[in-house]
Amino acid sequence: MKLLKNCLLAGLTALTLLGAAQVTTAQETDQVGRSTYLESLKGKKVIFVPISQGMDLNQAWVVVWQRHAARYGFTLEVRDPSGDTNAGIRAMQGAIAEKPDLIIVQNPDVQTYARLLKQAQAAGIKVLQVNMQSATQTDSYVGNDWIEMGRLEMGELAKHCTGPNAVSHKVVWLAGVQTGAANIYMRTGIDEVLKANPELQLVSDQPADYMSEKARQITETVLQQHPDLCGIMGIWDNAEVGAGAAVVAAGKQDQVTIVTNGAGSATGCESIKNGLLDVIFNFNAPIQAEIAAQQISELLQQPGRKAGSEKTIFFGPITRVDKTNATGRNCWKLDELK
Amino acid sequence: MELAGSGGSDGGRMGIKVSQEIVVVAISVILVLVFSATLNNFLSQGNIIAILKNVSILGTLAVGMGFIVVGRGIDLTMVAVMVVGVAFSIWISTWGIDFTLAIICGALLAAAIGLFTGIMVAIAEIPPIFATLAIASSVYGSGRIVFASDVLYAPSNIGWLKFVGSGTILGIPMSVVIFGAVAALMGFFLRKTRFGRLVYATGDNPNAARTTGLPTRPIIVTQYVISALVAFTAGIIMLGLVTGIDTRLYNSSLIYDVLLVVVLGGIGLSGGQGGVRNVIAGTILVGILTNGMTILNFSYTSQNLIKSVILLGALAIDAIINPRDEQTSQSGDI
Repeated sequence: MKLLKNCLLAGLTALTLLGAAQVTTAQETDQVGRSTYLESLKGKKVIFVPISQGMDLNQAWVVVWQRHAARYGFTLEVRDPSGDTNAGIRAMQGAIAEKPDLIIVQNPDVQTYARLLKQAQAAGIKVLQVNMQSATQTDSYVGNDWIEMGRLEMGELAKHCTGPNAVSHKVVWLAGVQTGAANIYMRTGIDEVLKANPELQLVSDQPADYMSEKARQITETVLQQHPDLCGIMGIWDNAEVGAGAAVVAAGKQDQVTIVTNGAGSATGCESIKNGLLDVIFNFNAPIQAEIAAQQISELLQQPGRKAGSEKTIFFGPITRVDKTNATGRNCWKLDELK
Repeated sequence: MELAGSGGSDGGRMGIKVSQEIVVVAISVILVLVFSATLNNFLSQGNIIAILKNVSILGTLAVGMGFIVVGRGIDLTMVAVMVVGVAFSIWISTWGIDFTLAIICGALLAAAIGLFTGIMVAIAEIPPIFATLAIASSVYGSGRIVFASDVLYAPSNIGWLKFVGSGTILGIPMSVVIFGAVAALMGFFLRKTRFGRLVYATGDNPNAARTTGLPTRPIIVTQYVISALVAFTAGIIMLGLVTGIDTRLYNSSLIYDVLLVVVLGGIGLSGGQGGVRNVIAGTILVGILTNGMTILNFSYTSQNLIKSVILLGALAIDAIINPRDEQTSQSGDI
């Protein structure tokens, strides 16, 4: 009888222990804070107003964000104005009227959306700006350190175009859109380098409007005036291929160094391999997008925080890519990101 | 020009008719003198070739536009047809179709769009400015949906395309040769063929042309097909020069630059006058101006300002030389 009682007791104890163990296991499998995270992201609405979804960087961003949205249950809508500033203003007004939880915006220039962004913040909508800033600072900016970009590109030219072996000290800045944030801030960086290297001679400063044919025309004209040109720096690899084409047509590819920046897509690497470009400062759009994705998560996790009450900035990585490393992760293809 | 009453027409007695073309040529000569006096290398052979090369795309488009304007039309689809036609060729070549065949398919697409535009203008009788504005937007929009990217690159191993971009004939770049060929062909077509004369007749007075039994509708449809093919040719020049095509060109001011060249050269928007020579005069003036301003490193804003002041000036001179009267007002304008 006592044996039976003992057995029962032992059995009960074992069961209790097992039960307790099970509870502990269940607690361990739920990663701490994950359910709260999922809860706060679920069903949230994010609207992205780009400059144009036709650009390689935009495509990379959206692929990464859509994956993030699908994984964590929020929605991401893209309102593409396709390069039309007026359509962009309408898209922004529409987005504000819909009161989403977050608006992501890529500004065509520093002024156009400045007031709209203030309105959005006043309406309690959090705003994340990507790569192209507005004069209005909002909750967050994720993108390039454009002043550093200007410094890096002109610094690269300074390496080639100063010193005793330089063919000349003449350099060209093929700008983008003069009112764009990238343009304005890069210019600050460029001026710093020019000041530090007074022998550098900026012989032309013309906007190519992010168009390859315009870049080609300017370069061809400048090369006629300055046959001893040493270097060209630009703002987007897909535009500076035009400058490269003009330099190749003049047979000066060994003399003129062409430096630009880009999202790091495979087409840029192809241009380096084809000899149209020499150096691309690659801001790796997929990594930029991952940083922005974490910002999206942070802003959605803080519904209590007032829009615009805290302002943060995150600069993405910049990698110098030339013939020696134009491979692998420095040259992404959109299909590989999906 | 034919209408009496202005000083310009009276000038005919002395053997010189002050047409707008002559004004444009005079402005060009003055600019050349000023630039060559102030800028080094402006008159060098290299720079002159650079000027011509830089206007080859604009000039080719303007030849097509001039052809339409002579017939009292306007074709705002040209830039859309150019970028979408060429982008379509690149897009289908990525399926493994031979690139040259893909280019032919692109040309067929361009011609089909031109045919549709022509039918809308000639048979549905939608005013050309509205018809082509709407069609341009739908052509570009369809392209944007089909091609994922704005910038499409041609395969890098196409021999003939490389020749278009960097080849020369007797030292003249192929892009300039193609522009010259298109212009010469169009000039011959307009001046020497019966069809060309019918275009002038239709442009000068469509109702009279129709009443006298001219096939105005087929003429208009053919015009738009030809201008679409000319636009496609300009796209091939661009593809050769920069190895890719950027469909965002549609959003740029290029189509207005094309109109600027046509109007500047002296082809009146009321139709029936002017020819390829006017287009070339306008193109070269814009080329000289842009080249000089680029060398002088003028800012983008001031370049646009100067360009538009010159357009306005040309229009004002046109209004003085070719004053409107009851007859021209009644015959309509764009």
